[in-house]
Formats: sequence, C-alpha cells, structure tokens
Amino acid sequence: MNPNVIRMIAGGLANVVVVLLIAPLCEGILRKVTACLQSRRGPPLWQPYFDLLKLLGKEDIESGESPALQRFVARLALAAALTTACLVPMGFPAPMNGAGDIILLIYLLTLCGICTLLGGLAAGSTYSLLGIGREMMTMIALEPLFAIALLAGAVHAGSFRLDAVLNGSVYAVPGIPWSGLILLVVMGLSFQAFVQRVPFDISEAETEIMEGPLMEYSGPKLALFKYAQMARLVIHSALFAALFVPWGSGLPFPLGWLLFWAKVLVIVLVVTAVAATHARYRIDQALRYFAGLLVVAFAALALAGYGH
Amino acid sequence: MSLTSKFKEAMVGLKAGRVTLDYPAHPRPVPENFRGRPIFDAQKCIGCAACANNCPAREILVLDVCQEVRILKYLGRRCTYCGRCSDVCPEKAITMSHEFETATNKISDVHQRLDLFMSTCQRCGRCFKETSPLEQLKLKGYRFDDLENERWIFRSRSFLESEPLVDDIKIELD
Amino acid sequence: MLRNLCQKMFGRSLWVYHANSGGCNGCDIEVLNVLTPYYDVERFGIKLVGSPRHADVMLCQGPAMRSTARALRCAYDAMPAPKLVFAIGGCACGGGIWHDSYPVLGPVEKVIPVNFYIPGCPPRPEAIIYGVAVAVGLVDKKVSPVEFKQLQMPIPRYHPSDLRGEGEMVVYEKAEKI
Repeated sequence: MNPNVIRMIAGGLANVVVVLLIAPLCEGILRKVTACLQSRRGPPLWQPYFDLLKLLGKEDIESGESPALQRFVARLALAAALTTACLVPMGFPAPMNGAGDIILLIYLLTLCGICTLLGGLAAGSTYSLLGIGREMMTMIALEPLFAIALLAGAVHAGSFRLDAVLNGSVYAVPGIPWSGLILLVVMGLSFQAFVQRVPFDISEAETEIMEGPLMEYSGPKLALFKYAQMARLVIHSALFAALFVPWGSGLPFPLGWLLFWAKVLVIVLVVTAVAATHARYRIDQALRYFAGLLVVAFAALALAGYGH
Repeated sequence: MSLTSKFKEAMVGLKAGRVTLDYPAHPRPVPENFRGRPIFDAQKCIGCAACANNCPAREILVLDVCQEVRILKYLGRRCTYCGRCSDVCPEKAITMSHEFETATNKISDVHQRLDLFMSTCQRCGRCFKETSPLEQLKLKGYRFDDLENERWIFRSRSFLESEPLVDDIKIELD
Repeated sequence: MLRNLCQKMFGRSLWVYHANSGGCNGCDIEVLNVLTPYYDVERFGIKLVGSPRHADVMLCQGPAMRSTARALRCAYDAMPAPKLVFAIGGCACGGGIWHDSYPVLGPVEKVIPVNFYIPGCPPRPEAIIYGVAVAVGLVDKKVSPVEFKQLQMPIPRYHPSDLRGEGEMVVYEKAEKI
C-alpha cells in the first residue's frame, strides 16, 4: 500500500493506544488532587484502572426499554471518543491529516454528546429521560462555542486542514490577536462543561442528584461509558492545548512530546481545582451563562472575519 | 460568586493537611465512659435475671433447665448498648467494655451463654413461697424462654384466649 | 486470565449503595460520617453511587418493614452479581429495639440474604470501617461465641407443662415472638 496510508493508520492507532493508557491515569490524578484539596487521603492513583477492571468482571444485566440499543450505544460511545483521538495532535502532527478536517472534528465531538442522549433514551426510565433533556439543552448551548473557536482559527489560517488550524492559528494575525484572546477567555470559562465536571456536569455525572442517563447500565456497558468519559477529558485537554497554547510544539521529538503532556497535565489540574471548589449549577443558570458566552463568541468571530 | 472565595476555600483545605485517621492500621483510643459490648462475668453472676427483665430490646433470655441449673443467654443482635443491664446488676457482673469492633459474617458470633448453678434452699430444696399475693406477683420463679427459637415466653395468671388476635402478615415477595 | 484479574480487583474498588428501609437514620448518619475526610473510606476505593445497578455492596440499615419490603427486594435484585449485603446497626441485624412493633417484619435477613453483620446502635464509624475491612480481607474478625458451663453432667430437662400441679390456676401462656 501507499506508505503514506500506512503511516496514517499507524499514527492513528498509536494515538488511540496512548489515549487508552493515559485516560484513567488522568482521572486518577483528578480524584487524588480533589482529595488533597478536601484535606483527606483519597484513592490511590491507579484507582480508575481497578474500577474499570472490576466493572468488566460484573454480570451484564439486560434491562431498560431496548437492550439491543443499549449495547450498541455503549460501544458507540467509546468508539466515537477513540476516533476523535485519531484526529488530535498529541505531540506530533495529527495522524489522519489527509483523511479529515475540522468539520469532521466538530461532528465527531458532537457525536460523543449524542451517545449520551441515545444511552438515556435506550434506558427509558423517568430519571434517564430527565437527564437527557438537560443534556440536550446543554449541548445546544455548548457545541457552538467550540465550533466557533475552530472556525475563527480556520478563518485566520485560510483553510480547514487540521495541521493548519490546530497550530495556534487563532493568534495568527498581525498585531494584537483580539479574537484569539477573547476566544481563549470564552473557552477557558466554559471548558468545565466540555469535560463534564462540576460546575457543569448537569446531565451525566449527576449521580448525586438523580441517577441520570447512565442509570440502567451495569457491568461492562458501564465500563465502556466511563472509559469514554475519561477519554473525553484527555481529548478535550489536548485540543485546548493544541489550539490555544501552541508554543513549543515545534521542538524535536522527546522535548516536544513531553512539553505537550505537561500542558495537558496543567489543564487537568486546573479542571480539578475548579471542580473541587465549586458547586453544581442548575440548568437554567447554566443556560443563561452559556447564552452570554455565545454572544461574546459570535462577536469574536465577527472580529476574526474583519482580520483582527 | 467571587473567585477569591474559591481560592480561600482551596487554601483552607490545603492548609489543614491530611486529617484522615489511619484507622485499621493504627487502633484508635476511645473515651473513658464509652459503652461497648457488654461482657458477662460468669464467676460473679448469681442468676437473678434482673438484666433479662430490664433489657429494652429483650436480648437476654433465661431458661431454668432444672432446679439447679439456669441458662442465661445474651444474643447481641439487637443490643442497643444502653447499659441498663450493667446498671441494674447487683453483683456488678456485667461490664460495658470498650469493644466496638464486632463485625462478623455469622450473627451467632456475638452470643454469650452462661450455664449457672443455682444453689437450693437448705430446708426445702426449693425457693420459699410468699404468703401475700402482692409479693407473689413479684416473684418470677421459673423462667422458660425458648433458647432454640430465641423467643421470650411470658407466664401470667389471667384469663385470655390462647389464639393470637391477629394472624401473621404474609407479604408476597416475587 | 482476564476473569481472574477482574475478580481480584473486586475487593479493591467496591461501589456502595445505601438503602434505608425504615430505620431511625442514626446509622445513616454514621455511614455518612464514614465518607467524610476524617474517616475517609475512599482510600480503599469505595465510592457512593446512586443507582443499585452500578453498585457492588448494599448497605442496609433499618429493619425490614411491611411497606418497604418489596422495594428492598427490588433493589437487591437489581444489583449485578457478584454482590454483597451488609446489615448495619441493631435494627438490620436483629429487628432492633422495635422488633415487636406492628409494621416491622424483622431483621433484614427475612427479605434479602445478608453477608456481613455490623451490630451497634449506631455502630461507630470505626466499627463500620472495621466491618468493611473484614469483608475485604484486610483484618480478621474479633468476636466469637462465649460459653461458660458450671455444671457438665446431663441434666434432665423439664417441660413447662410437666411443672403444673393439678390445682394451679395457670390458663394463659403468651408466647412472645422475637
């Protein structure tokens, strides 16, 4: 076959393996740092690995309205997250560069959110439907924010290709990059909602208030959903680092790769610190917050169109 | 919703360090008058069954096997650790120890059973009989609680039916 | 091989579902204490979850009541195997101080099979952590039945009906169910 195609596939697989290995560790760091902020000891760093292995060993109970759809959605959730990982640059340029562009990236990120909706719908109990109603409202307000950031980068770079956009292109204007800075602030303020942590984990991790869309899942299907959640943390942090904090990505192999993972670690620590000290928002408060941010983001996109 | 209050919250949490007790590794001392599991000292017990009469959860059963032997059995399942048995014991044979680590997978592990020798009256060989009916009401005499099924059995001198007024309630658990 | 690994991981990450079927909430508060930073039980990997389908261990407290017996049974059946049930407190172990009251069916083991008992009213948080540690296998249990016999010969057992004389006026014998 074409050596380019082989390189693309091998790069994609390498990304997937790295995400599979690192994602539970990031979640473990998150739980440990939360415990430190709450002045207690907390679980060991490898705890999410134990959790996932234990869930894989439990009995699979078929329940809910349509078990076949439940099985399909559990696998789709993890598959969507890992496919997104192939398009994200992780220290190297994005592997599947020629096979997709940022439009595909936006749709794959939305697919990850839709898997939660389908999951709750397949379960069909009252609490699940309530949870997916809230998730729908959040998604409508939230996905445009990331799309606007990527589009602003595309406008500045002049193309939709992944390596052109995911390279700090929001700052690529002569003079002070106003649109880039505004979008940095907007994305920073709403990042917690993308990775589904407090204060914006209104739908999915809402186990304390109601059981949410994941209520009827048990055993291996729940393991797949939890893995997808952990993978989304890593992937969103990687995208944020590639888009808004690109300095140093041109360094040669060991340094550039380590610097990238250091950036992801810092982002995870910031997410943890915010999650440990805040309370959860209600759905109407969150929607008002996102509406305000959307207005600002559209203004930034207009500025980007004018070349600022 | 100010950012400084969140910083202060994080700083308070971090400054406290780690307050977690290292529990199963290091045992934790208990306060002085802590009421843990009651321990029955068989050498001091005279078999008066005052503890059995005063237990609010009816956890102490007494069975007179014959004139000389009285079995006292403490079932610890419902014990509320109130300490009434040790307060009322005339010989101070019951002490509320400081033990609270009583988790087990078989509830019969918390049972304590004492087979006691009751000495008999030297003249007639039996407990003496009171003449006044009021004093007769206070004498409990023989006790025969059911030790196998762990039930208390009352015995009184009234005219009542022997069938229960309400049948046992059956619940379907499908 | 994967199955062995998964079974070994069971003791290191137990997810707990708390079910109160009619108790006074004293043991509820002690279970809540166990999850606070002072007695932190998350260092064993234990997490509180809101749905019985996610849980491995059910912490039952309160006696089994007429009104909640079916709900308790449904929650137990909803948990995926392998599962454990802990009965916490005197009410769940033996019916509690209101064992002869009208809505109480008895201890929780009349409705669901119980694996571990943690007696107490309410049990101290350390006692609950000790019970969890015994279940996981970290420590040994410390109680065992005590029997003291002052006489060892075969003693004839008299039935109550043999002890009644002819002229005695004993008519009512009420058997009290425990």
